[in-house]
Amino acid sequence: MKNMEETNFVLLWKEHYQKIDQSLAINKRLLKEMLMRKAHSSIRSLIGGRVIGIVAGVIWLAILGVVLAIAFAHYSTAANYFIVSIGAIFLINVKALYDYVRHLVLVSSLRLDGSVVEIQNKLRDLRVSLIRHCRIMVLQLPFWSTFYLSSKWFPGTVGAGYVVFQLLFTAAFVWVALWLYKRLTFKGPENRWVRFFLSGTGGKAILSALDFCRELEDLEN
Amino acid sequence: MTSTTRSDQFISVIETHRGILHKIANVYATTPEDRKDLIQEIVLQLWKAFDNYDPRFKYSTWIYKVSLNVSLAFSRKEHNRLKHVDPLRDDLVQFADQDEPAAMETRFRFLQQFIAELRAIDRAILLLYLEEKSQREMAEIIGITETNISTRVGRIKAQLKKKFDQIQK
Repeated sequence: MKNMEETNFVLLWKEHYQKIDQSLAINKRLLKEMLMRKAHSSIRSLIGGRVIGIVAGVIWLAILGVVLAIAFAHYSTAANYFIVSIGAIFLINVKALYDYVRHLVLVSSLRLDGSVVEIQNKLRDLRVSLIRHCRIMVLQLPFWSTFYLSSKWFPGTVGAGYVVFQLLFTAAFVWVALWLYKRLTFKGPENRWVRFFLSGTGGKAILSALDFCRELEDLEN
Repeated sequence: MTSTTRSDQFISVIETHRGILHKIANVYATTPEDRKDLIQEIVLQLWKAFDNYDPRFKYSTWIYKVSLNVSLAFSRKEHNRLKHVDPLRDDLVQFADQDEPAAMETRFRFLQQFIAELRAIDRAILLLYLEEKSQREMAEIIGITETNISTRVGRIKAQLKKKFDQIQK
């Protein structure tokens, strides 16, 4: 093998691709077909996962809204736990849906013809915004442990054992929610449970985006 | 401009610069299937960006920017990310004789292997260097200063040289 002191990488590259370039051809028929299909396929892909997600979110909010409206219409103090819990879940989901729609609008309007650092930073920011979305969503966890309570029977008519159980149950939900909220950050993806949580919620792209952030930061320094 | 003329113009641009797509796909995708997917994704994004093409820049610069941005995103996404794209039966960029060069030079194989081991951003910088782009053009495509480009190229070349030297021992 030639001594690499003398080796010119550029020459090596050029020599190789000179041969290949001559035999490369564009499949024009396929390209034309692809350009014609483009408009349809991009609309289809948009309608596919994302819009279905938004529609599902809107339906879910509508259900929560109707349930809340009924609770207000037939208001009694016994429903306070329910109203506060479902109200909080409703508000958190409204915020999350708003963030998600905003995120999708930004993603679809992104042009890729900027410089690599500029565009990759934008892509990173967009992916990190999904983390914020996840963070907000976990805050609703504790309210799922209280919505079924009623001041008609809690804590007055239940035994001390159940009160302790309920307090521990809600405290556990609060702890998990805060724990995830704190760790679902830009800097904190190292924890294996957080990585597990993210990968379980389709967040593998977020994890790789976070790993990629380090490369970008390094490049700009 | 009618849509047919526009698509014809686009096809002509792609044809002229087909080598860039092929090289970038070789750097960022390892399997033939991935290369096919990546080229398809790049062409789709180029077509999407074609309306906003700024004639102040060379076509090659524009193609490098879009292609590298797509490739960097491609290299860190999950493998099944392109499910929404209609599968192609054939390669968009193909060898006219349908034969991959059988005996790739050993040294080129090593170079290719080393490139694959580099970080995604460094691969982009090295690719532009190997394509003999000026530091000014590299800085414009990557979006960092010429000084920074010069430093990075120096470091990457040193890494490559070290690895080549290790192989010889």
